[in-house]
This record gives sequence, C-alpha cells and structure tokens, in this order.
Amino acid sequence: MINQAVTYLTATLVIYYAAKWVYRKYPRVYLSPLLITPAILVVVLLTTHASYSSYNEGGIWLSKLLQPATVAFAVPLYKNLQTLKKHAGEIFASVLFGSIMAMLSSALLARMMHLNGELASSLVPRSVTTPIAMNVSQMIGGVPTITAVFVIMTGLLGAMMGPSVVKVLRIDGDIARGILFGTSAHGTGTSKAFELNALTGTVSSISMILAALFTLLGAPMLLGLLG
Amino acid sequence: MKKVGLAAIQIAILMGFSELMNRLAVWTHFPLPGSILGILVLFLLLQFRIVKLEWIELGATWLLAELLLFFIPAAVGVMNYIPLLEQDGIRIFAVVILSTLIVMTSSGLLAGVLSKRKESRLS
Repeated sequence: MINQAVTYLTATLVIYYAAKWVYRKYPRVYLSPLLITPAILVVVLLTTHASYSSYNEGGIWLSKLLQPATVAFAVPLYKNLQTLKKHAGEIFASVLFGSIMAMLSSALLARMMHLNGELASSLVPRSVTTPIAMNVSQMIGGVPTITAVFVIMTGLLGAMMGPSVVKVLRIDGDIARGILFGTSAHGTGTSKAFELNALTGTVSSISMILAALFTLLGAPMLLGLLG
Repeated sequence: MKKVGLAAIQIAILMGFSELMNRLAVWTHFPLPGSILGILVLFLLLQFRIVKLEWIELGATWLLAELLLFFIPAAVGVMNYIPLLEQDGIRIFAVVILSTLIVMTSSGLLAGVLSKRKESRLS
C-alpha cells in the first residue's frame, strides 16, 4: 500500500500549498490553510469511502515531523534568551492566570451547556499540547482520545481567532501577543505566532511549555475544588 | 540546492535527536513528553556550546516555518469523531470558542498591563 500512502501524502502537500497560496491572496479567517486543507481532505476521504487509517499511512510522515519541530523551539529560545529573562515575571504570571482560566472556564461552560461529566473532563486540559492533555484527561476521568480531538479544535480555532482578538483588545507588544497565543492554543497557536515574528513565536513556545506544566500540576487540584 | 540538502541533513539530525529524547523520557520516567525534554536538552547543549547553532539552524528554521503543515493529518483525524460531533458538536464548539476567548483575554490583557507597568517604571 506504499502507493496509496504516497498519494495521500502528495495530496496533503498539494492542497496545503495551494491553500497557502490562496490565503496569501485573500487573507480571510475561513480561508486559513489549517481549516481548508483538513476540510477538503475529509470531504475527499468520505466521498471515496476511504478510512482515516488508510489516509494516515501517508499522513503520519508529516505527523512524525511534529516531534523534531517541537525540539527545534530550542533554537529561537537560545537566540532570544536575554529578552525572555527580562520578561520572565510577566510571562510566568500571565500564563499561570491564563491556564487556570482555561481549566475553570472549560469545566464551568461544559456544565452550563449540560455536557456529560466525561465530556466535561475531556474538555478541561484542551488548551495544552496533545501528549500532556491526554495524560491530564486520563488523570481526571476524561477520555484521552476525545481530549486529543478537543486539543486540535482548540488549536485550529485559537490560531484562527488569535489575530482578530489581538486587534480588538489592542494587544500590541510582542511579549503579550506571544503569551496569548501560547497559553490559549499550544503548538498550533505558536506556529501562528511565528508568522507574526520570531520573538512573538519564541514567547509563545515558552508559554506553551509553561501552560503544559501548570495544567499537569494544577488540573487535579482545581477539579478537587470544583467537586 | 546545496542549502536544501543541508537543511534536509539537519532535519534528519533533529529527527534522530527527538527520537533519542523520547526513549530517554520513557527510560527515566521523566514526567513530561520527550519533545519537551528535547527542547530543554537541546537548549542546554546550545547554551554550553556543545552543539553549534550552525549545525541545526537551517533545519530548525524550516521546521518552524512549516509547523502548521505537520498538524494537518491530526486535524483530518477528527473525521473519526463525526457521530460525537453530530450529537454534541454545537455545544462543544461553543465551549471551545468561549473558553479560548476567555483564556486569550485573561492572559493577553494581564501580560499587556504587566509589561506596560514595567516600561513606565524603567522610563
């Protein structure tokens, strides 16, 4: 099935770069390559009655690059160390506050919308990177694979909403913008932040790591409080 | 063309390194995923000049520039959850969008206030 894997991989690349080209000409939220590419692929797979697992034989080669790409965050971290040191206090405080709000608001909103307890617990860690979120979900009585879906939704929506939120709230500093993207939308938000500039992206990657830590340590405590 | 080859070699090095860090994280029962351990270790290697920036910079820059692409297959995976989304999708979307707005507002505004205060103290 090597052929099929190569076909799906090529299709993903072609659709992605075409979507990127369209997005450069017409930068609209709903034309974001991160939304359009998976949407087209899902429609194609459903209409040809192909399964996700057969698609993923090709797709997995792209997912495999996610790991080294995450490790590559060390490079901007190293290059921007001085700036980061200068802003360590506000990054730490803002990410901590944002992470607590992420868990509380997810739990409370899920309850208000009458979603069942299992779904609510699966939503709680949705704003941090997938492996940590799945881990936390397991700890607090959620379903890890469903959490992974919510993490992806959060990343896509966050990366799409972020630029408008930054404009509406008039958040103009690179530091504050980076914190906003990394705390709310983990790696996907961080890649959007790197599109703005390197410093915003670096602050976002630090925020993403801190948010993962705070969520891992804080989720069991916070849920205990909520009861 | 030479640049492309160099970037490809550097990406291969980073792939090998991240795989090594995965194994190390499992082996040492490190509480965070291997990729995060990898960031820390690579950062320290750069900081102590054991690894030179030129060895990986080109590959790292390319990976970071194309980061969104690597999330696409996972996003396609949502198709396996269409029944769940058909049933509770609107409410789930509402929670994710509203909560994300709350997180952005709280972290972004606090960061904005804190950095403004710092600037005014410095000037």
